Amino acid sequence: MFRPQEMTRTLLIGAKQDLEHTIELLHTLEVVHIIDFKTADVDEHLRFGAPTTKASGASRSLLKIRSSAQMLSLDREKQTISEKLPEKQIQRDIALKIQDMELSLLSLTETKTRIEEHFRKIDERIRQLQPFAAMDIPLEDYHGYDHLTVFTGYIRDLKKFTEHLPAITENYELFTSDADDQMVALFIIKKHAEDANKLLNDCGYTEVKLPEGTGLPKQFIEKWTEQKHDLSEKLLQTTKDILEFRKRYAEFILASEEYLTIEVQKAEAPVLFGTTEHSFLIDCWIPKDEMQQVMETLEKEMQGSLYIQEIELKHNDEPPTLLKNPRPVRRFEFLLELYSIPNYRDIDPSFILSLIFPLFFGLMIGDIGYGILLILFGVLFMKAFKDSEGISNIGWYIIIAGVFSSIFGLFLFGDMFGLPFMLPPHEAGEAAYSWSTLLGIHIPIPSVIHKMESLGMTQLLVVSIIAGYLPLGLGLLIGMIVEWKHDKKHAITKIGLLCVLTALALLIFVMADWTIGQWLKPLKGSAIAPFLWDMFIPLVKSGFSFGGLLFPYVAMALGILGILLIIIVAGGFGLVEVLEVTSHLMSYTRLAAICVAKAAMAFAFNMIGLGLILSGNIIIGILGVILLIFMQLMVFALGALSSGIQAIRLHYVEFFMKFYKGEGLRFNPFGYKRKYTTTK
Amino acid sequence: MAAEAGIIAIGAGVAIGSAAFATAWAQKTIGAAAVGAAAENEKMFGKGLIYMVLPETIVLFGLVIAFLLWTKM
Repeated sequence: MFRPQEMTRTLLIGAKQDLEHTIELLHTLEVVHIIDFKTADVDEHLRFGAPTTKASGASRSLLKIRSSAQMLSLDREKQTISEKLPEKQIQRDIALKIQDMELSLLSLTETKTRIEEHFRKIDERIRQLQPFAAMDIPLEDYHGYDHLTVFTGYIRDLKKFTEHLPAITENYELFTSDADDQMVALFIIKKHAEDANKLLNDCGYTEVKLPEGTGLPKQFIEKWTEQKHDLSEKLLQTTKDILEFRKRYAEFILASEEYLTIEVQKAEAPVLFGTTEHSFLIDCWIPKDEMQQVMETLEKEMQGSLYIQEIELKHNDEPPTLLKNPRPVRRFEFLLELYSIPNYRDIDPSFILSLIFPLFFGLMIGDIGYGILLILFGVLFMKAFKDSEGISNIGWYIIIAGVFSSIFGLFLFGDMFGLPFMLPPHEAGEAAYSWSTLLGIHIPIPSVIHKMESLGMTQLLVVSIIAGYLPLGLGLLIGMIVEWKHDKKHAITKIGLLCVLTALALLIFVMADWTIGQWLKPLKGSAIAPFLWDMFIPLVKSGFSFGGLLFPYVAMALGILGILLIIIVAGGFGLVEVLEVTSHLMSYTRLAAICVAKAAMAFAFNMIGLGLILSGNIIIGILGVILLIFMQLMVFALGALSSGIQAIRLHYVEFFMKFYKGEGLRFNPFGYKRKYTTTK
Repeated sequence: MAAEAGIIAIGAGVAIGSAAFATAWAQKTIGAAAVGAAAENEKMFGKGLIYMVLPETIVLFGLVIAFLLWTKM
């Protein structure tokens, strides 16, 4: 769970006549990660393998299938199938079916394009003729004059034009369409054409070109509209035919596409192998747990004609990473891989991530109202994205965060939608709102931490620092263990940093004793009480006072020890890391910051909204309800977004930097996840 | 006393305000570059996010100082 699966590097060597059979076997096993062959690696006699003879034929068929799918605009995501097709059946039918499909599809799509083309042409003509339809002048009458010029077009200021036109000449004739679009046709004597043109331009004139042809525009339009109607019916029929066709062939297309993809994959596999004239060599990684089964299968099926050799893991090998986690944790691998895929030698932090990420997320929201909203939102999110494996995980994180948020809201903050269940004792009777005063019944859920109080804020700050100390310390510890084998210096620096970090945490614990000390009280009767009060606390607290500040001995000793260790192994520059670890610890105060910022926002909105609702006026009250719902949703959205991002950031930046290297190679087994076909 | 509290409050405001401004300034530049990088190569998303959020710690320093001042009021 904490390490990627162990891998064994294996060489498979065989004779060329067994090549296809071997590929077939490896493909069905689906546990072999083939290493791309590079000539220089092994031996100068080895060359790259060539694709098998099947490759080009299968590729060609695949191209045809894909282009058909394109023409039918087949949506692969939405298409469902009744049953998986057996591979044998596809193999038998494929050639004939492709030919058949290609022919009918070609004629169908051609018909459709032809109709569409015709449709467009008529549409264009109607559009051109439309402006002239309102004026009852046959088209041939617009041109062919010796002494007349004709202007046709739209005009913006018709009134001004008709007023000024008589000043130019009396010899004209002006036709206008109905008021709306202000189309004009002006017949004017040629010598006045220039002046008329000027006037037209002053009145916002846009020329409309005269379409070719003879006859009344209206009649043309009527005729063409009728044609258009016929065409659209035909188009509908063809579209229906295509849909029918798609329905009939969809399953075949999906299944054969998958079948051919697999065929091409197998046929092109030898490119990854090294070959000589008569033999081939496959260099691959196999998970150690699967090794036994792979060996047995290959031995049995190949009757010993394949030579299998395990190679010892070398220092500079980079095996692929295959994570192994229980199902709930596996969902968090997505979050990890968003940062970087773990290196083979990394500790797999998915499990820790799956615990701490939702915990922090929930702590920052810390409200049972928003918590329940988060759970609902998460469920909806998962439903909406159930087809996409990666994204749907985010819904899962939101659900778990919602659960944590509800728990914190109920037991720690006593909050629902930013409103406490009970007022803090010293505020009782004041003009503040709480669920108890609003509903008029006493709800006995106290707030352990009041977010909006000075004391509560201090407590939250201390809680966040402690919450930061645990993962940071854990990260340094893991980092130390990982580094110990490779680089002792780094490992010792990490011990030093751990000392400094612990010193800082103790210092804050001592300084903040008055704020959180009361929480330890329930432990007074328990078995660890003597240890706590007689040893641990006095030891941590003992120190000397200087300038009004307490300097505890233990924290100072740890801090100095840590710094000395770092200076000894890493030199003065190592001190930069001390600063870094300090700022990382401070960085966790964002837990408190966001928690309070969100609560303050909700508090302010509640004051406004509840003030309106309880004002006594019905209309203002209804307005207040709408406003309050809107504002609450805003707080929820902002809070969820910033909490989620900050919670993941605390892992990516502060936690992972202590030990995580990443940049691994994903284990990618040779094989195919079949969705539409079976081998049976 | 009231004047003193006022001065402290202004100090707290300046602390958080200037720290927030510094963070915003840094994030503005980094954010633009990070989005650019992620647009070219999706694998840069994780790294970009990290660089993007690094300056956020500055505003937290401001917050802590502002808070310490507030408790002195």
